[in-house]
Amino acid sequence: MTVDAGVLLYFVLLVPFLGSGLCLLLPGIRSLFATLVLGVLGTAGASAVLGAAVFWGRPLHAAGAWFFLDALSAYHLAVLQLVYLSSSVFATRYFAREAPLSRAGARRFGALWLGSLGAMTLVLVSNHLGLMWVGIESTTLVTTFLISLHRSKQSLEATWKYLVICSVGIAIAFMGILLVGASATRALPTPSDLMLWTRLRESAALLDPAPLKIAFLFLLVGYGTKVGLAPMHTWLPDAHSQAPAPVSAIFSGIMLNTALYCLMRYIPVVEAATGHQGFCLRLLSLFGLASMVVAAAFILFQHDVKRLLAYHSVEHLGIITLALGLGGLGTFAAMFHTLNHSVCKSLGFFCAGRLGQMYGTHDMRHMPGTLRHSPLWGTGLLLSLLALIGVVPFAIFMSELQIVKAAADSHRIAALVVFLLAASVVFIGAFGHATSIAWGNPPAAARPQPARLTDALLVLVPLALLLLLGLWMPPPLRDVFEQAARVIGPVP
Amino acid sequence: MSGYIDALLVVVLLSDLYLVYTSRLGACVKATAVQGVALALLPVLRFLETPAASELVHVLVMASGALLFKAILVPWLLFRAMRDVATRRDVEPFVSTHLSVLFAGALVGVSFWLASLLALPGVGRSSLFGPTAFSTMLIGFLLLVSRRKALTQVVGYLVVENGVYVFGQSVAAEMPFLVELGILLDLLVAVFVMGIVIHQINREFDHIDVDQLNLLKG
Repeated sequence: MTVDAGVLLYFVLLVPFLGSGLCLLLPGIRSLFATLVLGVLGTAGASAVLGAAVFWGRPLHAAGAWFFLDALSAYHLAVLQLVYLSSSVFATRYFAREAPLSRAGARRFGALWLGSLGAMTLVLVSNHLGLMWVGIESTTLVTTFLISLHRSKQSLEATWKYLVICSVGIAIAFMGILLVGASATRALPTPSDLMLWTRLRESAALLDPAPLKIAFLFLLVGYGTKVGLAPMHTWLPDAHSQAPAPVSAIFSGIMLNTALYCLMRYIPVVEAATGHQGFCLRLLSLFGLASMVVAAAFILFQHDVKRLLAYHSVEHLGIITLALGLGGLGTFAAMFHTLNHSVCKSLGFFCAGRLGQMYGTHDMRHMPGTLRHSPLWGTGLLLSLLALIGVVPFAIFMSELQIVKAAADSHRIAALVVFLLAASVVFIGAFGHATSIAWGNPPAAARPQPARLTDALLVLVPLALLLLLGLWMPPPLRDVFEQAARVIGPVP
Repeated sequence: MSGYIDALLVVVLLSDLYLVYTSRLGACVKATAVQGVALALLPVLRFLETPAASELVHVLVMASGALLFKAILVPWLLFRAMRDVATRRDVEPFVSTHLSVLFAGALVGVSFWLASLLALPGVGRSSLFGPTAFSTMLIGFLLLVSRRKALTQVVGYLVVENGVYVFGQSVAAEMPFLVELGILLDLLVAVFVMGIVIHQINREFDHIDVDQLNLLKG
């Protein structure tokens, strides 16, 4: 069983890259999108088997110890596949009508789309910290061109900012990795062991704490840039608002989480090396709260619906980071919140993208009456925005409640107060935006488009999932969250 | 031998300061090429100081890689990009050159202080490794934020990367080969991409001043 599952690791890693190459050769747009969906379907199936093998078995290894999959990476791989699968189906619908791609454009899109899937998979299955970094770097390079798929002044500006800011972030993260290596040279004298996460985790107590602390600072700022933590978030609203909607969905739904995943790997190592004094945790809480506050301020006065969703990403990644910083129950809540946010945010971008196509604008002042104009996408956007700000029956409310509980249990009153204040400001601001576009009379220029079964599934399945998780958490899923959280720290 | 290493690190530092001082793009690119040559020699001298047969391949790869990318290919790409977009000077940087030089001097001071705080295991080879690495990185940031032209920003990014490379050299004996290669790959591709993007920006906007990139706000 272990041997077979290990082989699947190569499968999920190679299929995206092979598919990416294949996309450059295919003649027609239809066959191209079919390849895209089939490729993602294949890796999603394989990932499901891998996840089952990890959660109900033990961590998998491949290529010596270079690749491995434990509960934390298997969980993120599952979220990655979920977001990619729905976004790929959505992409076929999105590009079919309003934003027709030329053949060359479609080929480029397919190759880059699968290429970034491969790069993110590389991040998640690497045990080698250098290789993990190479994955993040290639994610940046590949996705750069996805932002400027439709060339315009704005999208080129967004591309330039994204490239410069994230490249610098990645250089800083590399400095952090070098420092981690420097702190481990005494504990792990064999060079081949030096950068393997499993080896670092085992001998964490022997690492040199002083350089490791500086290393974590570099890593937090470097990878934090890619996560979109304030004050390094400035590229994020531009890139998310200018990219085509399916690309925004994968950016927000999983790319940010992939960078945060890299940080999660360092938390247990640095914490163990510094004697569990909460060095990382305090820093994480600080950056998480800062992101929430900055996002809240910008959400209040936002007019562009995609920028609104982008600032929600800053907010929610901030919430996940804060939850990691709280530790204990917070770590569990961070895992739960990751799934909720990814599902909800990709749904939000699907709806905003399609409505934007119909209205010809993303300016919320010019898109009233979405409910009447397009009942399906309008309802989807309204409910996803409500879910994002934590309205009751949806799952995000439950995970945020757990974070509040974690903060109260550990007596982090200042963090709790800032969290609640920022969340209230977001609630007030986004609630106003959500209701102002939902009701009213749609402008005459807006062209309604009939919804198909695929569209209905794209909206209803995520909503049903969010509702279900808000009301009841299946025990196997709770087990998955707990196993993933235990990789980072103890869970009560 | 460590005297030669110190001398090389001083060359790197001086080229950093020259980059801050000059406003001519051509001179900037030449200075990065000089810095690239110095960086390529760094692993060679390090090897001559403490020869170990097992390290030979790594050293050759690092030195030839740095020479090829940092000293030849990237400057060439930058010169070509400069010709394509027909810009010569960074006329009005956000921060005047005199003030930048002052800042840069302060940053070098800060770097010596930072490096003295960090007693790193590999840095014992030369006491200048740490300060040079930090100064080069910080001066790269200074170039990134103080200059107006997209091309000078690319140079700024390169200098940041070179700082990381210097730091990497101080611990290279313990670091695996893949990590070294990672720097070069990243450098090469990033500049490639940036060059293409500059080209696109130039076509769409008819200029490459980054402060004109101000449509997206809030």
